[in-house]
Amino acid sequence: MIFLPVVALILGFLLVYRFSIPSAWADYAAIAILAGFDALIGAVRARMEGQFDEAVFISGFFVNMALAILLAYIGDKLGVDLYLAVVVALGIRIFTNLGRIRGLFVRARMEARRARHAAMPH
Amino acid sequence: MRAFWEAGKGWTLPVAGVCLVLGALLGIQTHTQQLRGATEVGRRSSALVGMLTNSEAQLAAQAKEIEQLRAQLGKFEKEAMSDKGVTQRVYEEMQTDRVALGLLPVKGPGVELELGDSTMRRDGAEAGSQDIYLIHDYDLREVANELWAAGAEAVSLNNQRLVTGSAIRCSGPLIQVNNTTIPSPFVFHAIGNKDNFVSALNIRDGVLDRLRWVKFQVKLTPKDDVAVPAIAIAPKFRYAKPVTEETP
Repeated sequence: MIFLPVVALILGFLLVYRFSIPSAWADYAAIAILAGFDALIGAVRARMEGQFDEAVFISGFFVNMALAILLAYIGDKLGVDLYLAVVVALGIRIFTNLGRIRGLFVRARMEARRARHAAMPH
Repeated sequence: MRAFWEAGKGWTLPVAGVCLVLGALLGIQTHTQQLRGATEVGRRSSALVGMLTNSEAQLAAQAKEIEQLRAQLGKFEKEAMSDKGVTQRVYEEMQTDRVALGLLPVKGPGVELELGDSTMRRDGAEAGSQDIYLIHDYDLREVANELWAAGAEAVSLNNQRLVTGSAIRCSGPLIQVNNTTIPSPFVFHAIGNKDNFVSALNIRDGVLDRLRWVKFQVKLTPKDDVAVPAIAIAPKFRYAKPVTEETP
């Protein structure tokens, strides 16, 4: 069921809403969130394509998050806005995956309609 | 296509776990950003206040330094004057010049004149324009002029010594003397002949009379001991050059 993840998302949100982090970390948290969304949407797409793998998903979620933060951190230290590179790369990936998901939906609908037409006697 | 919303082994639980983490991150980040936005304005204005306090403190420190340097200069001159005679006369001459330039605080008999805004107020449709009941730069200039005319030897306005080059002017809603903003009430201290001051200022249809008509708060007190401070920054003479080298 889809409820469990949604409930988990809301629960997580409400549990920590009273806390805050130093504003110096806010950029890194934003990057981490972006990486997390990327992993989640990638997982949805993989699931729809029947290629989902639990280990790949979980490792990808945490490792990508860490890498994104690391890249942003290195950029900070070097004085290069690698932060932006991470945002752009993840943003593009999220959009691509969302596009694929939409494509899968549309194709499924068309196939269903064709199947119905074929079944109907002329 | 497989429907991702359908539960499945090895799918719902990991996604739910990840969603928990992601939700937590979102929550903490949203909360942080909200706090940030709320404190931004306060932080900015407190930074400005900090800067203002800083520069005021700096100004005070520098004024003190000027005072110290002047005292030091006086000491050096006194030491140099140990052989009396010519140096003594030069020293006396320079003291007089310094008084005239406003470089030395002075005291003596004189008057204290306090001017406050009028007690009258416009109301109704005209409530927005109270300016005829407020003291203006030209009122203060007129009073200062009258004090000089009555033989003042030293005049200060809100502790700003009036010297050559001291402009009294309005800048927006405030009044500036010696490029320093001064607030109401305005207090003149003048050293000179007390009786002359009182009669000159109180002359019929004179400057104080005119202010009293519109109920400005005028308080003129003759005093035996009036103190007038030195000017903070001495006037500079960059263009004016003496025509002769001789001193009068």
